[in-house]
Amino acid sequence: MTTPRYTRRRFLGTAAAGAATLSAPAILRRAHAQGGEVNVWTYANFVPDSFREQFEAETGIKVNIRLVDDQGKQFNLLAAETPNPTADIVTVAGHRFLQFIDSDLLAPLDTDRLTHWGNINPTFSESDWATINGNKWGAPILSGMEVLAYNTDVVSAEEARSWDVLFADKYAKQTAYIIQDMMSIIMLKLGYDGNMVAYLDDPAEAARIVEEAKQYLIDRKPLVRKYYDGGAEVQQMFINQDIVVGHAWNGPIATLINDGLPVDMTIPKEGSYGFVYTYNVTNNGPNADNAYTFLDAILASSEIGAMMTRASGFISTYKDAARHLTEIERKSTSFTDEELAGLRFFRAEANEMKYGLVDPAVEAIKAA
Amino acid sequence: MRDGGDASAGAEPPAGGATGWGKLVGFAPYQAFVALVCASPRRQFFLLAAFPAIWVLSQHLGPIVQMLYVSFTDAYPVTSGVEPRLTLENYRRFFDEAFYRVPFYRTLVFATTFTLATLVITYPVAYFLTRIVSRRNRLLMLLLLLIPFWVGEIVRTFAIMILLGNNGAVNLLLKWLGLIERPIPFMYTGFSISVGIIYLTALYMLLPLYSALEKLPRSYGEAAADLGAGPFTRFRRVTLPLTLEGIASGCILVFLISTGFYGTPVLLGGPSTTVFAETIAGFFHVAGDEWPTGAAFATIMFSTVLVLVLVFQRFMTSLRKGDTR
Amino acid sequence: MSRGVRVAFSCCYWAFVVYVFVPLVLMMLMGFKDSKFIGFPIKSWTLDWYLGLFGDARILSAFGYSVAIAVLSTLISIVVGTWIALLIDGHKFFGRAAMFGLALLPALVPGIISAIAFRIYARLLGIEPGMFAIIWAHAIHNVPFVALIVMARLSTLPRSQTEAARDLGADPLVTFLRITVPWLLPAILGASIFCLLLSFDDFVRSFFLGGYQPTLPVLIFAELRSGMSPEINAIATFAVVLTAALGLWAERFTRRMNRAPER
Repeated sequence: MTTPRYTRRRFLGTAAAGAATLSAPAILRRAHAQGGEVNVWTYANFVPDSFREQFEAETGIKVNIRLVDDQGKQFNLLAAETPNPTADIVTVAGHRFLQFIDSDLLAPLDTDRLTHWGNINPTFSESDWATINGNKWGAPILSGMEVLAYNTDVVSAEEARSWDVLFADKYAKQTAYIIQDMMSIIMLKLGYDGNMVAYLDDPAEAARIVEEAKQYLIDRKPLVRKYYDGGAEVQQMFINQDIVVGHAWNGPIATLINDGLPVDMTIPKEGSYGFVYTYNVTNNGPNADNAYTFLDAILASSEIGAMMTRASGFISTYKDAARHLTEIERKSTSFTDEELAGLRFFRAEANEMKYGLVDPAVEAIKAA
Repeated sequence: MRDGGDASAGAEPPAGGATGWGKLVGFAPYQAFVALVCASPRRQFFLLAAFPAIWVLSQHLGPIVQMLYVSFTDAYPVTSGVEPRLTLENYRRFFDEAFYRVPFYRTLVFATTFTLATLVITYPVAYFLTRIVSRRNRLLMLLLLLIPFWVGEIVRTFAIMILLGNNGAVNLLLKWLGLIERPIPFMYTGFSISVGIIYLTALYMLLPLYSALEKLPRSYGEAAADLGAGPFTRFRRVTLPLTLEGIASGCILVFLISTGFYGTPVLLGGPSTTVFAETIAGFFHVAGDEWPTGAAFATIMFSTVLVLVLVFQRFMTSLRKGDTR
Repeated sequence: MSRGVRVAFSCCYWAFVVYVFVPLVLMMLMGFKDSKFIGFPIKSWTLDWYLGLFGDARILSAFGYSVAIAVLSTLISIVVGTWIALLIDGHKFFGRAAMFGLALLPALVPGIISAIAFRIYARLLGIEPGMFAIIWAHAIHNVPFVALIVMARLSTLPRSQTEAARDLGADPLVTFLRITVPWLLPAILGASIFCLLLSFDDFVRSFFLGGYQPTLPVLIFAELRSGMSPEINAIATFAVVLTAALGLWAERFTRRMNRAPER
């Protein structure tokens, strides 16, 4: 980078100062010092520090943030707290809604109470996965997708046009992927519906497809270096040159690119899946009114969305958020129309059937 | 450390004297208290036993009973309005599917191997510290070894990644020395797991060994030498039997800890090194709603480990008795 | 002992020192890397990550919080664990093996399960999530380690000493305090180190039982989601340096304490 180097926190701080002046009036006029508090469970940096300070100063509502590091743990924790959760807002990945809804952990979102709902790009706010049982359940904030990432010094963009490069002999023992996610992608690659919604009425067919995908990955197990779990792992593998090509989420790869590493990512021609992180209001949370005040405030300015993108590498769902990003940040968080054409969203309808089949398959692949 | 404690305490009369102890013993309410508490060996025992009994039953058993209950239900946490049914289905899954048992056996093999490896690596270190290093420097040199253990497991594991990676410190060094052309893939193999796990377990072996060797009087070995025993015989017949206690407790500690490891094997392991903790976590992690199966698998794991530890403990006790006789 | 053997043993020790210190040194080094990620090559250096720590109230308070939890839970574990060890080792009674098994239980349950079980059980007992809940869970989880270590030392206590004390008229309590406790002190010291370490490094129980104030590992895990940054390495280095300083101070302190009664 040619810009002067700051620590990440300080960098955010300077960017935030601009945001503060921009978004200040919008929040202030509606909310007259309510006081109290709001409890938010979210990932590190999903609530920008500067926004939090400003929000607290203007509304008198104290924001308590509880840091979570994965969806499963958050679900378990919230489930362990029912029926009287301490959380008002949780951060759920859209395709996991159903699990939370089925366990009565979320309250339907009353979008009429959010004056800034319109600031969200309709691609996300009005998408089909966002409505379940006739209700909206969360405010989309960041969007991620399953991508193919590769070391540009070794792998050519041409090779990376297909998921097949992950299984090429040429790169044997230099690849890595998350098996669960890879199962969906393999199903898609083999010409099936990786969401399995199409097979809801035909469990036998669903089982056969999962079996086929499982066998596909077992046959190619000798070629893989590592089945990994977290974004930090795949980043470190690229830095350490343990792998040259891998499946990953766009967020961690975008931050690698922004740091100047010779890495790029793409959505291969077979297509891929996307997901959306949303802020959700919990069922029976202690401060529901403050939760809405918080949601409305955080949706107020596209600059807040840009800050989230900068910290996480995921793509903002806010209209115009990209305007506030630097060129390299914009580049690392955008895809061509051709790539996006192959993208579809994860859907939750068939999750129970899907994961009932996929989870044992994953264990079988690991044990094979 | 406190080796003077026993000798001096044994030599002088423990009670009495013009010290604080004397005052305490002469203090009337204290005498009344002791008389009440120690009236009979029976009462003494019950008073000693009451607290631990209450503690383990309420605090140790409580959460486990909770887990056992969950392991027999068909759904947990329960959807509101639905009565959970009791079932054995969760346990059956383990016995039905070979791919669940593979990581289970692997974990036991790993834990045993790591325990033995740790023992072999740390015994000479503990021996060196207690038998060769002067008493003055002993504690300092032990503390030196403890420093790295204050780094959290995750940070330390990432440090091992940048040590062993294809572009890591070791490979860069070997390349710079001209010993290799292409990097050696150390990471995501049994080797990298071992490096990471032994790093974590070493301390838990080292300290019990240290304390066992430290209290072993040097005169024992010298006496054996006077009787004409060679160094190896001396070690086998004198030092080893007298440190069995420390070996046993170190081994149990390390075994317990290495069966429960999750972070390190997940981060440093390869595609074929899944451990059982990972399988169990999978039921909470990915699916997120299969608690009962996770709980059942955990029950299988911990009861197996418990039995193994009890058997091992008994074995070591008999070994010790056989030797001192 | 021959010179060759001494040298061989000393090599073992120093090889071990290298083994445990190389990752530590790498970690400290990476704290100076001017990048968002650790790893080679290091193109440019910066002091920002280390300097940034001192201005960051979040990190300092997480560190203090973790230390407080570690110390308090250790105190509880030591008392309870030693008590259990005294009971199991010194007496033959019905259910002794069961007692031993029960004492070990908390160490046998895998982290995630034990955390969720603790969370549900805490609610049953009416313990609110937060500092007390974490201390409670850590204390229970660490009791088995204390019991094991203390038992190992206790079994080597020469009975002749306690008997001699009793013969000289000491009551059981004084005998315990003046003979048994000093004999156990090294084991208790060692066990304390274990407990402090286990508590200080625990993530999963702290996560499930904690409130909105994160412990250091919880903070690190959350930060890890956006990558293993030099900042996390700087935090860990900070923690190590501080605890090493504490350890050295404690060593000095015990040296003086050990010398005092003799004079």
